Amino acid sequence: MTERNHITPIGDEGIYVLDTASWRVFRPVMDKEKCIECGMCLAYCPVNAVRGTEEKKYYITYDYCKGCGICAEECPKKAIDMVPEGGRE
Amino acid sequence: MSYIDVLREAKDLVTPGMSACQGCGGELILRTVLKVAGENTIIGIPPGCMAGAGVVGWNYANGLQIPVHIPLLDNTASFLTGLSQMYQRKGRPDVNIIALAGDGATADCGFQSLSAAAERNEKMLYICYDNEGYMNTGYQRSSTTTKGSRTSTTPIGSVINGKQQQQKYLPLIISMHNVEYCATASPSHMADFVAKVQKGLAASKKGFAYLHVFSPCPTGWVYPPEQAIAMARKAVQSNLFPLWEMDGEGYHLNYENKNPMPMTEFVKGIGKFKNLTEEDIASIQTAAEQRYRLLERICG
Repeated sequence: MTERNHITPIGDEGIYVLDTASWRVFRPVMDKEKCIECGMCLAYCPVNAVRGTEEKKYYITYDYCKGCGICAEECPKKAIDMVPEGGRE
Repeated sequence: MSYIDVLREAKDLVTPGMSACQGCGGELILRTVLKVAGENTIIGIPPGCMAGAGVVGWNYANGLQIPVHIPLLDNTASFLTGLSQMYQRKGRPDVNIIALAGDGATADCGFQSLSAAAERNEKMLYICYDNEGYMNTGYQRSSTTTKGSRTSTTPIGSVINGKQQQQKYLPLIISMHNVEYCATASPSHMADFVAKVQKGLAASKKGFAYLHVFSPCPTGWVYPPEQAIAMARKAVQSNLFPLWEMDGEGYHLNYENKNPMPMTEFVKGIGKFKNLTEEDIASIQTAAEQRYRLLERICG
């Protein structure tokens, strides 16, 4: 509730964000060995939780990931696993 | 530059924590469109899921990083007409004017203002994310809902068995307004979708551009959220949602599908279709086939 970086037509207090990471029941974990760097996970992630570097290395950020599992489903090499949150790894 | 590079390098202009459901097709469409359009953009989002999820800070908890307006359900296109005209007169034709409306705000409530703006060839890009119903109020039927769907206004019971009418095919109707650009897209075919947003933005500098995007909805349609992209892909492969575009050179099919997936395969696993009878499936199949044959003849 502190940042005032953006302009919106209403609400002069600026923009706050929801803690959507708390919705997550399953956590996507990427196996870098199997990854072929195609970027499908990035293209299909609705939350923009999958990011990529200029060297086409893709990684998952967990700050806002809702755990929908689309990345794991769409990965052509099945390099992403959905593991239960807070449970055994 | 491939579409993956475009999406990777672009800045995400939507708030990171947004209250759209897990696996929401609309959120994916909103983020993708704004990644492609960039910061020099003004967007109008009428009431619907994307407005309800809080793009304007509805609950002072969310927002976009570009100017965003929530017009009424029925005046999105006329609202943006005024905005577009003002920017042309102020000598700022470079600003992208975009509408992102659901199917209710496009095909039902907002249809007259949309039709009028399309006919006047106003300079804007109107994007409809079609999740086949009024999702943010609990899935009431809309005119683009598929026949046989279980919705809260067409329940399954002793009198009726889901929606009784076939869906209205809006993109062809809009293309008949002699617009600059008109296309259908699906988030499952991302390269095609990104290219169409780019083409639509270019065409919106000359006149009216319309993009009809399929938007799978896990909550309303009742299927597991990870299946969202697979559902969109099956809709294209079964010819329920053919991909085509109309530009200055005429109509083109973007995904020629000689051996479509049978409709029984598409409806499998979707909760809203679970009470479909054989006749219902056959009637959806016939409607989809007729529509595809018509498109084949138009696209020639």
